[in-house]
Amino acid sequence: MKKQLTGLFLILVMAISACKKDSQPEIDTEYPEIDITGTNAFPKQCATIKRGETFIFSVILQDNAELGSISIDIHHNFDQHTHSTEVKSCDLDPIKIPENPFLLIQSYDIPENLKVFEIEQEVSVPVGVDLGDYHFMIRLTDKEGWQTIKGLSIKITD
Amino acid sequence: MGQSSKPSEITAGGNDRPLHDTIKSYPLINELQEVTITRSIVELRKKTESMNIETVSSTFIRRNLGGSLMKSLERFPGIKTIGIGSGQSKPLIRGLGFNRVVVIDNGVKHEGQQWGADHGLEIDQFAADEIELIKGAASFIYGSGAIGGIIDVKPPHIPAPQTLGGSIDLIGKTNNNLYGTSVNLFGRKQHLFFDARLTYQSYGDYRVPTDRVYVYNYAVDLYKNYLRNTAGHESGLHFNAGYIDDHFSNIFYISNTRMKSGFFANAHGLEPRNINAELHDVSPRDILMPSQEVNHFKIINRSVYQLGVHQYEAELSYQNNFRQEFSQYINHGYMPPVYPDTMRIPINLEREFDKQVYSLNLRDQMVLGKHRLTVGLNGEYQQNDINGWTFLIPAFKQTTGGIFIYDKFQLNDRMLLHGAIRYDYARIRMYKYTDWFNSEINEGGNMISQNLVRASDLNRSFHSLVWSAGLNYNLGKIAFKANVGKSFRVPIAKELGANGVNYHYFSYERGDSALSPEQSYQADLSLGWNEQNWSVQVSPFYNYFPNYIYLNPTADHDYYYGAGNQVFQYAQSQIMRYGGEIQLKWKFLKNLSTELLGEYLYSEQLSGDKKGYTLPFSPPVTGLLNFTWSPEINSLLKNNYLSLDYRVAAAQNNIVPPEKKTPGYQIVNVQAGTEFNLYGQQIMVSLQAQNLLNTRYMNHTSFYRLIELPEAGRSIILALKIPFLIGSPTMNINNNN
Repeated sequence: MKKQLTGLFLILVMAISACKKDSQPEIDTEYPEIDITGTNAFPKQCATIKRGETFIFSVILQDNAELGSISIDIHHNFDQHTHSTEVKSCDLDPIKIPENPFLLIQSYDIPENLKVFEIEQEVSVPVGVDLGDYHFMIRLTDKEGWQTIKGLSIKITD
Repeated sequence: MGQSSKPSEITAGGNDRPLHDTIKSYPLINELQEVTITRSIVELRKKTESMNIETVSSTFIRRNLGGSLMKSLERFPGIKTIGIGSGQSKPLIRGLGFNRVVVIDNGVKHEGQQWGADHGLEIDQFAADEIELIKGAASFIYGSGAIGGIIDVKPPHIPAPQTLGGSIDLIGKTNNNLYGTSVNLFGRKQHLFFDARLTYQSYGDYRVPTDRVYVYNYAVDLYKNYLRNTAGHESGLHFNAGYIDDHFSNIFYISNTRMKSGFFANAHGLEPRNINAELHDVSPRDILMPSQEVNHFKIINRSVYQLGVHQYEAELSYQNNFRQEFSQYINHGYMPPVYPDTMRIPINLEREFDKQVYSLNLRDQMVLGKHRLTVGLNGEYQQNDINGWTFLIPAFKQTTGGIFIYDKFQLNDRMLLHGAIRYDYARIRMYKYTDWFNSEINEGGNMISQNLVRASDLNRSFHSLVWSAGLNYNLGKIAFKANVGKSFRVPIAKELGANGVNYHYFSYERGDSALSPEQSYQADLSLGWNEQNWSVQVSPFYNYFPNYIYLNPTADHDYYYGAGNQVFQYAQSQIMRYGGEIQLKWKFLKNLSTELLGEYLYSEQLSGDKKGYTLPFSPPVTGLLNFTWSPEINSLLKNNYLSLDYRVAAAQNNIVPPEKKTPGYQIVNVQAGTEFNLYGQQIMVSLQAQNLLNTRYMNHTSFYRLIELPEAGRSIILALKIPFLIGSPTMNINNNN
């Protein structure tokens, strides 16, 4: 009686712990990439942008499965609150109080079913904005919701 | 000696607070007898509860003292922590945490801001005499949220009659230069007693085994291996007093816990921060921004009344959790570049939560033949106010009420059956929040500037019916238990009403006001085999959620409400989880024993956008191999031990956005200690070396893992407990020595 019960319990325990699925579904665990190394890529770390002019924001976006969406954010760094995500540091102007800093928040669509996409978007910098150090943030997602961030230091000059 | 525990009273626990708490003598008075009795109670609890229960003594905590209560408990298989830094961590039971684990303190649900991964648990570990860990669902007693498990911090033991005494705890830690003390004073006449405690701990920045960390690709040099600004301090004040006799007790538990700690300065969340390193590196003890400050005040009144076959219990309580998070003002998104001087919110107050909680528990336990029946009622009212210049969750008021009935039926000598059913009602009312600054929004092609409404007034009510059934089968050395049940959790305000940007995480979190209460079905088994020199315990579980509430990182960025950030959307999906723990103990020589602990967990989302993915914060497979040598040196040194823990964690490659794969690691911890008699008092010394080999590793469930910060390096911890007895009947002392 005692032995039978023990055996039964052991089988139960093993049956439950053996409920492991044989085939794991394939899941994507790779982050998308923002490539700023190309010759056409702009801006790059420590780049300079002219006030009152337009520039072409251009980077290559890649993912192993499918790209999601991209958003950029240009904000001042006059108080030097953030640093970039890059290896190289840039020369910063002295800390100052913003008066009319340039602010641009923009998201762009990426066509569906793409693994590689070269984005080229015209961005214009208004005439009256403050000169100085800015951050250029790029946020890229893939279809699965993995997000890669790049924070570049740039300067707006005359 | 005043040891009056009768077996019948020891078992009078039923499902929760056993009466023995009120009868047991103080451990200091009669340590040996206490230990024996506690052990038998623990064994009895295990054999008569169908849920998976582990009991933790204050001795265990002292021997394994970590930076916080939960860190000290992490050695138990199935128990992990989600934490930030060296002093803040919250429980993770079998991979479930946050609002899915309930912490009970002196019989009352501890309520703070449990949803935050960077928030700790406001419990003073020196004040915890005994803790019960329940792995698995227990909603039928504790109501909403008790899906993952329970951390039940029991009330301190009541002093023996006619005593006056206390103890002094001293602790020092080398890694973060922590020093601390906890001073306890207790006294009891025949029926009246008091128990007071004062705890203070202060620690500096903690050190990691590297002098450079990378925030993304940007190299951050660490001054003398210190993680800048991770210092902190905490204090705890406790005063318990009450009346106790054979049939009635009424006790007040009053406590105030205060904590202040900094966050790693070179990154706020995932956001890289430029800092004045010189300013930070002046002292490893200063706390600059970003930082958090929490004050938790609690007053509980607990009564127990025995009348015939009934034992009536009541807990009435008030709690206030006041949390502030400080950071320099930085204009994220569309916030104005310069903080307006017309603002009434202080410029450094990023977030503030002020929660008031009133609660009431009533229970009647009755013994009717072979049935032990408990009927009970729980009611709770919460009010949560918010402040600060960023918005994450709306202000809300919440009322919950539940009734339950639980029967424990002794079928025969070997078999105990359990059955419970519970009904709950919850109502939550959230309040509108409007941004204090303008955002640029596009309306019909025109850009207009307006204050965005982040949360609207919302009223929701929820009903829930849950049940549980279990059995215990005890035959000599074999203890088998099984439990199945349904549990639930009412969605929290953040899940229903969030519509804010968490700028430091580059996430725009969007709640869903239509979420239904989360439901969970769980089956637990446990098989124990206890021989004289060895024991085995295997505890597998299976868990299914038809509608787990999950913050899903989507592929989208939101330009309007999200200020360009990635949309994280609260959604519900089917979840399957299974796993288990194993514990093997073998005493192979008189003074030598070994222990092997292991845990495994698998979670998978069966539906929704993240079908096939796991759940966030899934702990990896871990194992712990221990060797303990308990030598008998001489009659002066007692309870000697030298113990080595070899912990192995496998890599965690099963991840979900926004996590990262975490490599496996191996660390070695050593514990040693002794007790000796000095002027008639038993002094306890415990020494630990945590991360003895100064291994550089990352913990998958640590908050700092996302920015690749390693865990703390080697730390030597010395803890001393000096009990003292000022006055007591001479009989007691004679008995003792």
